[in-house]
Amino acid sequence: MEEKKKILIIIPAYNESDNIVHVVKDMIEQAPQYDYLVVNDGSTDRTLAICEQEGFQYLDLSINMGIGGAVQAGYIYAYKNKYDIAVQMDGDGQHDVTYLEKLLEPIMTDEADVVIGSRFLEREGFQTSASRRAGINILSGLIRLTTGKRIKDVTSGYRAVNRMFIEIYSKDYPMDYPEPEAIVSAIMHLGRVQEVPVQMRAREGGVSSITFKKSIYYMFKVTLAILLCRLSYGVRRGKRV
Amino acid sequence: MIPGHLRVTLILVVISYFIVILYFLKQKALNLKYTLLWLVAGAVMGILVVVPELLTRIIRLFGIQDNMNGLFLFCIGFIILILLSLTSIVSRLNRKVRTLTQELAILDKRVRDLEKK
Repeated sequence: MEEKKKILIIIPAYNESDNIVHVVKDMIEQAPQYDYLVVNDGSTDRTLAICEQEGFQYLDLSINMGIGGAVQAGYIYAYKNKYDIAVQMDGDGQHDVTYLEKLLEPIMTDEADVVIGSRFLEREGFQTSASRRAGINILSGLIRLTTGKRIKDVTSGYRAVNRMFIEIYSKDYPMDYPEPEAIVSAIMHLGRVQEVPVQMRAREGGVSSITFKKSIYYMFKVTLAILLCRLSYGVRRGKRV
Repeated sequence: MIPGHLRVTLILVVISYFIVILYFLKQKALNLKYTLLWLVAGAVMGILVVVPELLTRIIRLFGIQDNMNGLFLFCIGFIILILLSLTSIVSRLNRKVRTLTQELAILDKRVRDLEKK
């Protein structure tokens, strides 16, 4: 059973020319045992040129498709290239490579199918603004209400999934603001979803994809998406062993 | 009912409507598949112009008193239907474009990897 698992780190990047070199070099230095893949999501800045120059492993999406489409491209790549585990990690330097091991552990020991790196379990590191935390709590409550599962950091984009969910996500991954919806989808597929505590950093450069103006739209859209996702899978069928 | 003069005008309108659609189809500016709804709309308009009593009867059936109100209601309903079908077509196209872009990116990487060897 001690065969080596093929692990891919998916790093979606949209206009991350300020951060991407640092993020990927960190990755190569501190975790050389894993493969990584930058997914350039149709950036309009020098992200692609930098990836070429530095000789990074990358996918280049010719059209900007949003984080969902970019991450899904990574999952499709992982599925086609027969990876056992895929990790997604933001390209803006918020996610710390040193937590990779912790994120992977529940999957290695087959305790979980989907592992989410959570800022709020130990409340250490960058905790984001109060208003965002409030929004996250509402979504977290909604997910608990609709699926019965308590996940604290539902918007965290630092996640690891096993082969089963590489396949599921490669076929169907939510678009636009996918993180909370992907959790519901995982629970509805009877996946074992687990959170592990990680620390995140405040982003170092570039801008977050969610501005204040967009946050109302975000909450509205994600709430609907969660309800729709829950509805379209109907009543849960039995329990997975 | 509709006066004879108005009826002639309406028939001409319906005929030019069909001519425009056929012209677009011939130019391949419209896909026949997506034009079916418009053709059906034209056919319904044609029938109603020739047999206006039909419209009155249908409208009465729905309990609407005023003919014009009924006509507008049906028109708006039909336009909403067409818009909805357009949205669904766009959504499907969106999905296809996404898949193509992702596959293209993966192929692109494969080509680069092969060239390196």
